[in-house]
Amino acid sequence: MTTIDREPSTDSAAQARFPDPYEVETPEGAEGWKEMYPYYNHFLEVRRDRDSARTWFRNGMHFPEPMPPFDIATSDSAFQSTGVMNTRVFALPPALGIDVRVLNGYIYMSSLGVEDPVEVGRRAEEFAVRVGHYYKNWTDLYEKWQTKVRDRITGLDAIVIPELGEFEPIENVLAGRGVTTSNDLLVAYQAILASLDAVWNLHSEMLNMGYAAYLNFQTLCKQHFPEITDQTIAKMVSGIDVILFRPDDELKRLARLAIELGVEDTVCAHTDFAQLHTALAGSDCGRAWLDGWTESSEPWFHFSYGNGFYHHHRSWSDDPSFPLTGIRKYITRLQAGDSIDRPADAVAKERDEITAHYRDLIPTDEQAAFDDALGLSRLVFPYVENHNFFIEHWYMTIFWRKMRQLGELFVRFGFIAEVDDLFFLRRTEISEALADLQFSWCSGGEAIGPDYWPGIVEKRRGIHQSLIKWAAPPALGLAPSAIVEPMTMMLWGITDEQVEKWLAASTGDGKTLEGFAGAAGVAEGPARLVMSPNDLDDLVAGEILVAPITSPSWTPVFARISGAVSDIGGIMCHAAIVCREYGVPAVVGTSNATSLIRTGQRIRVDGNTGTVTILD
Amino acid sequence: MEPRFTAWFDSLRLSDRPSVGGKCANLGELVLAGIPVPNGFAVTVEAFEAFEDLNNLREQIRSGLIDQVDVTNSAALRGVHEEASGLIHAATMPDRLEQEIRAGYAELCRRSSRDDLPVAVRSSAVAEDGDASSFAGQQETYLWVVGADDVVTAIRDCWASLFTPQAVAYREKLDEDRRREATRISVAVQEMVNAKVSGVAFTVSPRTGDPSVVAVNASWGLGEAVVSGEVTPDEYWLTKVGPTLTSSTVSHKLQQCVPAVGGKGTHMVDVPEDLVDVACLDQALVIELAALAINVEKHYQSPQDIEWALAVDDDGDHRFMLLQSRPETTQVQARAAHKPPAAATSSYLSVLQDLGAANRGDKA
Repeated sequence: MTTIDREPSTDSAAQARFPDPYEVETPEGAEGWKEMYPYYNHFLEVRRDRDSARTWFRNGMHFPEPMPPFDIATSDSAFQSTGVMNTRVFALPPALGIDVRVLNGYIYMSSLGVEDPVEVGRRAEEFAVRVGHYYKNWTDLYEKWQTKVRDRITGLDAIVIPELGEFEPIENVLAGRGVTTSNDLLVAYQAILASLDAVWNLHSEMLNMGYAAYLNFQTLCKQHFPEITDQTIAKMVSGIDVILFRPDDELKRLARLAIELGVEDTVCAHTDFAQLHTALAGSDCGRAWLDGWTESSEPWFHFSYGNGFYHHHRSWSDDPSFPLTGIRKYITRLQAGDSIDRPADAVAKERDEITAHYRDLIPTDEQAAFDDALGLSRLVFPYVENHNFFIEHWYMTIFWRKMRQLGELFVRFGFIAEVDDLFFLRRTEISEALADLQFSWCSGGEAIGPDYWPGIVEKRRGIHQSLIKWAAPPALGLAPSAIVEPMTMMLWGITDEQVEKWLAASTGDGKTLEGFAGAAGVAEGPARLVMSPNDLDDLVAGEILVAPITSPSWTPVFARISGAVSDIGGIMCHAAIVCREYGVPAVVGTSNATSLIRTGQRIRVDGNTGTVTILD
Repeated sequence: MEPRFTAWFDSLRLSDRPSVGGKCANLGELVLAGIPVPNGFAVTVEAFEAFEDLNNLREQIRSGLIDQVDVTNSAALRGVHEEASGLIHAATMPDRLEQEIRAGYAELCRRSSRDDLPVAVRSSAVAEDGDASSFAGQQETYLWVVGADDVVTAIRDCWASLFTPQAVAYREKLDEDRRREATRISVAVQEMVNAKVSGVAFTVSPRTGDPSVVAVNASWGLGEAVVSGEVTPDEYWLTKVGPTLTSSTVSHKLQQCVPAVGGKGTHMVDVPEDLVDVACLDQALVIELAALAINVEKHYQSPQDIEWALAVDDDGDHRFMLLQSRPETTQVQARAAHKPPAAATSSYLSVLQDLGAANRGDKA
């Protein structure tokens, strides 16, 4: 829980404080955690005055778990890309990018603002030209964007991790290539990292400005209707054909196909995909269904169980047991005569009715401004809703797969015991290990790595386990004066109001949590804490999902839960979008639900008011 | 032509205000709009003037009483009120007027198929200025009045309320024309709704002026408990889309206003224990009421402040009745004062607004 310190009242305007990052203690068993992260993520002692005077928000939305050392690469790429778009590409007038530190393994971020009004004005001129180009050509740019991302994915997939056998491949020698596969290995690793960096540039290319357009519409709505809910605004803007629902739609298609081909009993009888494959491969109908599966899975099953930022977030295509379970459930519902279609027509009708209704309540001479802001929001929204599948799910699935291929090489040469051990080396340490591997392979001598890395990996796995148990506070340092950056507000749900709530959290009774009303409705039921995707297996129908942040790839789960609660996330977080679509009451951005609520406790989720009550 | 002394609500329009006052004219307008209101008739301004003329009351009260007192002396003003009230009750009513009132009451009884129908007798002010009518004693209401004799007496009471100390003192500050306007009074005689629940509804948020919001207050019994603030009512908040209930607060309602034992007048009693903490309206009823309120707002094309009552008959059938509706102007102004976004955010939102408009230009 957050504690609030008030600075000694040496001056009259004492500012509210979150915990000082320099005073937070290391959890037991996690001593030495700092060596897992690069120096630029440390709260360095020499910078104490500067860093403890800033506000640091925990990014529990993208990084809910403590970071394994290599996985910091995803934080680097993501924050660099959002920063470069605000700071250098679009010149967002009042805000630059976001600084990042790691405390006890958890990611904290701090926005960089532009205070000087002259500077804001200068940037505003640049901003108008740059963002104007994007808004004016948005649809074309989005088309091109999809091609750029697909090319990046193809390029990443094509990177070959050389085998490093006993001899250099004969064709290289006969071609007189000269440069060896040892060099290919170095180039491959660098190419993987460069690809990650590039694709995250693409991720943020259109996202920040998409959110800015949405924020503009939201602000206008709230000026006319001070009491309008965020979810009502979202309903006016949301698209109907959102790619995030496509993987789930594919499961429905495969369920129907199984019934059509008469293989539904076989599909339902297997929980293991390899066994199902064997059982179906013997018949024409079975093979037809397997063809259907292949068709759906590329690319729609590159859908992460998590959010793509961690190496252990596998996707449906890595582990098909989850989509298989989903197909089985849809078959059962179809057999029972249920409709499994999403109510797309009803959603579209509701969107149009709500929009017309609010528009009518606006004075006639202000309706054009409403139409403009709404038009701009709807123009950018397909990107905002769909980019997530392309990058976090599809690209990142291939990225982690490629990194695991590298891990296999290190396992083969005895540097590490299992593939995932690789991610307990920092990015630069992997470069060192590669040099070691290259050296020994070239020389024919012994690599040093096998005597060096296993001990380090074991120690770090232990530290990581201790860090998982630590309850990271939602914010550190001084409370901010005002939040102005669009990503911070729209995506992370960090608004002036949210900061107030966090500051007030320690005065609550511990039975009531406030968050954002993510999806309408009220639900009561037993809580199920899901701290990582692996916990999903324990979830029983009718329970209320309580998680640091939910992932859209859990969509089949949403049919079984009666409500959802998250620590982190604003009204446009992906989980809120899915909950609204599926009519599951949700409260997002409670900041500390997972530390206050225990599995089995009865809770009430009020998705109308954004309140969660612990009833036991 | 003989002046009109009484007029049924269903014959009235807003334009009849100078003759029947704002309350009656509004009720006529609501009937026209198909909104359920209790049946009744207006006793016109002309009727009161004929009554004054017949008894030379204007002169007697003006020069005989008001001109003789120090309007800063409240004891003296109370004396004026008593004497004026005495004069009004002792004066002779024009025959045609008294016959029309008694016939009107009899017709109300006939239409409801009962003798001794309880009615509400209320002042209906002509002045446009809400404050003025309130200070000038034109907001008098007598509930649960039974029998033609008592109706006539209650009408005289409404007339006499023009001369309360507060009303006299207030009018003395006005110029001649406005003072004259502030003594023009009509009276409404209206079927009494035996309300199980009553309250007020706003078609704009009283918190923020948000025009997409309907706010409802409700309490057990007749509306006086809510209007006078003696009971903290249940609160219901809705959005007009639907309408949809967004939140409700059930309060601890200890008292309610009910018809007095013996059948005449009203009094406050304790709410039965098992109802104190129960919501007065369920979701379906709140939504039905909000839809009604939205219809009234649509008819007037401006936000409204509505008094309503819910009657439930012996078979359990319910009907909402609107007792009166006024334009709600203060909240529309409140909205204009709502806090704008932070200056730093405005620095780019204004650019986006221009760009949004530019994109519209391109498409056209």
